[in-house]
Amino acid sequence: MINEYIRLEHISKSFGETEVLKDLNASLHKGEILGFLGPSGAGKTTTIRILTGQLKATQGDAYVLDTHVKNIDESIYEQIGIVTDQSGVYERLSVYDNLRYFARIHGVELKHVEELLTRVGLLEHKKKPAGKLSKGQAQRLVLARAVLHKPKVLFLDEPTSGLDPSTAQDIHELLLELKEEGMAVFLTTHNMEEATKLCDHVALLNKGEIVEYGSPEELCLRYNRDKQYRVLLTDGSRLVLRQSPEDVEQLSRLLQEDRVNSLHSCEPTLESVFLTVTGRTLQ
Amino acid sequence: MKGIHKNKLGAVLEMKGRALFSKNFIIMPLFSIGITLLLKFLYQSMGGNGSEALSNTLLATALGMGAVMNITMTGILCTGMALAEEKEKHTLRALMTSSVNGLEFFLGSILPVVAMMLAVNAMIMVVAGVSLSLTGWALWLGMSLLCATVSGVLGMILGICAKDQVTASTVSTVPMLILVLVPSFRGLNATLNRIGGLLFTGVLQNMIQDLVEGKASVDVAGLGVILGEIVLAVGVFLYVYRKNGYDAG
Ligand SMILES: Nc1ncnc2c1ncn2[C@@H]1O[C@H](COP(=O)(O)OP(=O)(O)OP(=O)(O)O)[C@@H](O)[C@H]1O
Ligand SMILES: [Mg+2]
Repeated sequence: MINEYIRLEHISKSFGETEVLKDLNASLHKGEILGFLGPSGAGKTTTIRILTGQLKATQGDAYVLDTHVKNIDESIYEQIGIVTDQSGVYERLSVYDNLRYFARIHGVELKHVEELLTRVGLLEHKKKPAGKLSKGQAQRLVLARAVLHKPKVLFLDEPTSGLDPSTAQDIHELLLELKEEGMAVFLTTHNMEEATKLCDHVALLNKGEIVEYGSPEELCLRYNRDKQYRVLLTDGSRLVLRQSPEDVEQLSRLLQEDRVNSLHSCEPTLESVFLTVTGRTLQ
Repeated sequence: MKGIHKNKLGAVLEMKGRALFSKNFIIMPLFSIGITLLLKFLYQSMGGNGSEALSNTLLATALGMGAVMNITMTGILCTGMALAEEKEKHTLRALMTSSVNGLEFFLGSILPVVAMMLAVNAMIMVVAGVSLSLTGWALWLGMSLLCATVSGVLGMILGICAKDQVTASTVSTVPMLILVLVPSFRGLNATLNRIGGLLFTGVLQNMIQDLVEGKASVDVAGLGVILGEIVLAVGVFLYVYRKNGYDAG
């Protein structure tokens, strides 16, 4: 299909007797962010390793940029970028030299290095040895390196895990910008807020199985069985009303009497959807 | 392993070449030159008034020590430790998933080290004060190149098998000791002498003795030993590489 950058068809993976991925199906298009959301050990990293040609699937087919993963060779890496916790930097080299090295490998003009450093907020640290960067700065460097060659697909394995909220925020903004520029992002996370905020589609992964697939809104609405409205009244008291005839009547009366200060509908979050589907929490 | 892209090989070469001059690695070439100088002065001062010409045997010992240390330590450690460090710091994976292929990484890793070993062996000859004929130089550099190749590939094999730098330095100790000590003590008994003749460092040592005595001839058996060891080293390298890339540790 046109502009379909990744497709997974019945992908399974076993390590010895243990099946860690079971019949995964998913697809990712240009300019989209697909999130694999699941708790530790669900198989998120394993999926990324299969899609990036670092691990062979036991069964099924997957295509990255129309190349079957079994035919992937190093030339695919000219078109994809990868960030995992296994993405190390050259600690003795400066921030700038780290990027310069990879710019030379990819044949990227050096002027892009400065641009990118500015964009990820590391320009003032460009002479610093990469080993001296803080965790969040190092992660931004790894991210900058992964997008240096303007890949079509970016793979991110828990890119904000362990980072402070403001660095995570910066990274989210950068990702949304890259998405606007047409990059497709395959993201894994166990942070449901992150998934809700960034992803066009999420796959809820539990013990190697995709138990739900759809846009975050879709999923939340699908599980919105027990609708609730949180009401704050002008006198300061709070009410929680349900979708029942009596409660609806009460709500309309309150609205007519103009006694409502604020009104919120409470859709379930991805977290609660996950809990409903699997009986497990994400953390 | 497939074809080579000039920009990728060039980038790896530059990085690895620069790393050779970092304080972790430059110590080994410097040490090799230093030990030759030191032994030369030591033997000279032991020989009496200090200005006397050294006996050929002692000069060959001083030279041999430096050259053999250079070939083994620089060759094995500067390739093996560098590879192990790349694995330990997770930069190898970053490199290999940035479209650098196995051959580019191999050549990029080994060529600067081989060049360094050649330069140091040339310098050792100069600081030892041995004047060689043109043929002598050709033989010396040619032989050094072959030995450097064996040891560089050996370093890569050890680097593949080690998961981190500590393991790399542990696993390389025994082969390095054998390669340095056996040729040095080969005068002690016939067995050591025979084993020494089967090691590339032993062959190099023998050539030094000849060169110092003004003989510039090819030792065909020795050359056979070295070529055999190159084939063996490359064979073993390809075997371990094919199993799991650079990540067998
Ligand atoms: N090389 C391997 N050999 C055996 N089992 C493995 C291997 N790699 C992963 N596994 C197993 O596969 C399962 C999925 O692992 P994976 O690393 O993909 O989880 P994850 O979703 O990325 O978890 P986390 O959030 O902790 O990173 C785990 O049970 C893990 O133990
Ligand atoms: Mg993981």
